[in-house]
Amino acid sequence: MDIKQKLQIWLNTSIVSGIFCLVVAILLIFNFWQVSSHNPLESEALNVLVERLSQEPRNDELKQEIRNLDLLARKAYFNSQWQVKTGTYLLLFGAIIFAIALRFYTTLKSKIEQPGQQVENEQLARVLSQKWLIWFGAGVLVLAVTASFFTVDHLESYSATSAEQTEKPEGTPEENIQVVQVKKDVPEKQETVEEEPNTTENKENIEQEKVVQPSPELVKEEVVTTQPKVQQPSVNAPSDRDIKNNSNSFRGAFGNGVSTATNIPVSWDVANGQNVKWKTTLPKHGYNSPVIWGDKVFLTGADQQGQELYCLDKNSGKMLWVGQATNVPGAPEKPPKVTEDTGLAAPSVTTDGNYVVAIFGTGTIICFDMEGNKVWARNLGVPDNHYGHSSSLLTYANKIFVQYDTNRGSKVMALFISSGETIWETKRTSNISWASPVLAEVAGKKQLVLTADPNVAGYDIDTGKELWSVDCMMGEVGPSVAFGEGLVFASNEYARLVAIDPTTSEIKWEDDEYLPEVASPVVTNGLLFIATSYGVLVCYDALNGEKQWEEEYNAGFYGSPVIAENKLFALDMDGIMHILEVSRDAKVIGTPELGEEGFTTPAFANGIIIVRGNQNLFCFGN
Amino acid sequence: MKKTTYIFLAFLFLLTTFTSFSQEQRFPKPEFETGYVQPSPETPEPRTASMELVDVAILLLVISLASYFAIRRRSRTGILGLTLFTLLYFGFYRNGCICSIGAIQNITLAFTDPTYAISISALLFFLIPLIYTLLFGRTFCAGACPLGAIQDLVIIQPISIPRWLRKTLGIIPFIYLGLAVLYAATGTDFIICRYDPFIGIFRMDAEFHMVILGIAFLLMGMFVARPYCRFLCPYGVLLNWMSRFSKWHLSITPSKCIQCKLCTTSCPFDAIDFPIQEKPANSRSNVRKFILYALLIPVWMVAGSFVGMKLHKNLAKAHPDVYLAELLISQPELIHDEDNIDVQTFMASGKPLEALIEEAKAKREDFYMGSIILGAFIGLVIGSTIMNQVVFRRREIYQPNRADCFSCGRCMDYCPVEK
Repeated sequence: MDIKQKLQIWLNTSIVSGIFCLVVAILLIFNFWQVSSHNPLESEALNVLVERLSQEPRNDELKQEIRNLDLLARKAYFNSQWQVKTGTYLLLFGAIIFAIALRFYTTLKSKIEQPGQQVENEQLARVLSQKWLIWFGAGVLVLAVTASFFTVDHLESYSATSAEQTEKPEGTPEENIQVVQVKKDVPEKQETVEEEPNTTENKENIEQEKVVQPSPELVKEEVVTTQPKVQQPSVNAPSDRDIKNNSNSFRGAFGNGVSTATNIPVSWDVANGQNVKWKTTLPKHGYNSPVIWGDKVFLTGADQQGQELYCLDKNSGKMLWVGQATNVPGAPEKPPKVTEDTGLAAPSVTTDGNYVVAIFGTGTIICFDMEGNKVWARNLGVPDNHYGHSSSLLTYANKIFVQYDTNRGSKVMALFISSGETIWETKRTSNISWASPVLAEVAGKKQLVLTADPNVAGYDIDTGKELWSVDCMMGEVGPSVAFGEGLVFASNEYARLVAIDPTTSEIKWEDDEYLPEVASPVVTNGLLFIATSYGVLVCYDALNGEKQWEEEYNAGFYGSPVIAENKLFALDMDGIMHILEVSRDAKVIGTPELGEEGFTTPAFANGIIIVRGNQNLFCFGN
Repeated sequence: MKKTTYIFLAFLFLLTTFTSFSQEQRFPKPEFETGYVQPSPETPEPRTASMELVDVAILLLVISLASYFAIRRRSRTGILGLTLFTLLYFGFYRNGCICSIGAIQNITLAFTDPTYAISISALLFFLIPLIYTLLFGRTFCAGACPLGAIQDLVIIQPISIPRWLRKTLGIIPFIYLGLAVLYAATGTDFIICRYDPFIGIFRMDAEFHMVILGIAFLLMGMFVARPYCRFLCPYGVLLNWMSRFSKWHLSITPSKCIQCKLCTTSCPFDAIDFPIQEKPANSRSNVRKFILYALLIPVWMVAGSFVGMKLHKNLAKAHPDVYLAELLISQPELIHDEDNIDVQTFMASGKPLEALIEEAKAKREDFYMGSIILGAFIGLVIGSTIMNQVVFRRREIYQPNRADCFSCGRCMDYCPVEK
């Protein structure tokens, strides 16, 4: 065989193997396109069938049809995978043959080399190398130093924030608390109080004010107390009766969901204005619920640009004043990341008739007097909360109670309502939560009851000392507790519903059939009500846990059910208010609608109910 | 058939190979209960110790044969055969692991982590090529390295790289070696293995960016011969040092060089030193420069140390603890991301975030000193490389540059001199 024949053979081999590679490659590209563009699990036909199955869950024929289609899709997928793998090996084989043939071909065709010319002057090349090496070396070092200045040091920033959070209560309050002189004309009596304040109770409150400093023997390691350094303005705290006659916090008086208001409308029609006293749109959105004191209604709203507290006239819905949460020491320049379904204004405000206090997702807590003058503001440290902070505030006996359960630690604090100074702060062993504090009267004394993963616990309102704790919760706890019949009721989705005796820390009964995700339970007259996020309203016997009735609706509940005039008011997410009689039978009284979505909890005053829809604030009254 | 056609076909081959890699994807479990029991994932058994020794024996055999072909037989064909074998065995059959390049990291970790037990095969894979290089030059690169083999086979039209560019890019392997040692010593990662551009091709499976990187190296390798070996390989740094002192090294001519210049263009790696018989014209100036550059070496080292110190926080971000801690601080919502395996594993451990942060801070302290040393090392390399540019050595004949020569034997074929 002469060289020409050899050349021809290797050339032909190269061409054949090259064409082979080309064909396999094209097939592989086609296969790749097919696999990428036809995800078997995103088949439209399959999705349609699955959608149908959700409407007809017991349709066995449909299930079989889906199974068959699913199997077909899987077969196609794995067949395609086999093709890819086989094709790859074929391509590799072809490429090796191609490379070998090409190499032999070029070797046979090679000619006698000509002596090469030295084209590079070595001395000049060396000089050039020196320059380039110097520039390169300097460039690398400069670039590296520059890069170091653009590093975001999260570890240090975390330490700084943590230090800020722990140091703030112990630091000098003058540095981080903005104290504004309270107007002297703060009304000592409430305009809308229908009965004379109970002077005995007021005295008790004043007494409590005097003994806010815990006795040393009560202070454990986890209880951190701060000595107030600013003179507290002498303002009378409202009596229990004042509080009950208003709806001063999230879920009304004491945060317990039961109102004493009367003459509440059970029907309205937004479209034709029937029983609609007023309707107004708030400047900024928020998932917080309305709070009422006297003739004033309070809510908050927030967006990326700012956080605001709104005061509206209860009778007309007109905006009386807007409090801006600006220039707050320690507040972040940029709000933290929160999810859309929580926002920066999820916590409801609280008021004692002298002051109104709001907290936002930025950790800023701000206090105004009833005329809209800012009294104080501080930042508690940006809450590390992946949805957004949502625990509402609660006030009692001149104190503001803040449940601050975050990813970076949990605590409960009491602040002076008049100055914002920390009275006590107790570290909690629980995980992050979204529930709000509730006041319960146990053995004749008020205590603060909080729920979170893993425990439900009671705290002394004067010292912050943990009085009892029961490990019974789990998950992301959103619903607050309910207190009634001497029992604390706590529940959470994927956990359980428990009835705890706070005097013995004993779980009286528990159930896990219907569990709420966001809406808090409410208890009255021996009956407990649970509203789930999947649209089931359930009534239990509060004492033994026996289910009395259940009602299923199209939409779930995020707003908590509340009681007024022995009626249950539960606003579902479609904006339908389900009004039922508080009884052992499910007796529907009415189902008036807002005409828009609803995620909040209504507030009551005599003759009216105020409901925050997703767009508007409504006041309904007979 | 023109060479451009070959290039086109080779490119097409690489492109289509890539498409096959990118088709690997996960497939979710079936939605319905069919009675099928999902098998629990199994961890593949490690290679048995005896088979690991077989690998060592094969390496020993291949590198011995490569040395024999390069120095005694002077057979380019023999070396080419070994290259093909290495590609198939250490590359495609052994999937590119274990390799001597990555063994640097095992050695480093064995020195810094008393709990880490290095396997005898990793130790031998690290040492054998170095010893052979000290004796015979870089014959490991010639025939026993799978990464070198795959690049060697795609050289089609090599171009000559000017000296300034070779020397400048020649700094990169030192930086890579320093980083690899730092990351291995701190238990961060084996970056040489993670960013091995050819591993995806050997295993027929890789992440998208690594496939692209592998293809890019092979495409570049058609014109810039062995780009990874020359401008990136960290093990090449050690081999380069060893080869300078090699006792027997491949020579272009088997006898006396007749200065025919036929070999001058034979080396695709620009590793042939040409004769220099005359002194440089400005030798006094060179002496002054030499002294200046020598004195500047400590300055380079101090500057490098400073840069290392400033950069230690950036470098530490690659450590899993530091990365996870910073991730959870900057994006706390990820705690609930069920698809994030790192986060979910941490959450399942029950360890508080504070503990993780403390560990991350401690690890960053380790990086502080390590980065300073790394910076000083890079400064030393830059300073001494600059200094070397003014050192002239007289040469009478055309000869391989011992440091850069891969002992591939191409030049031998061009030499008309018989023994």
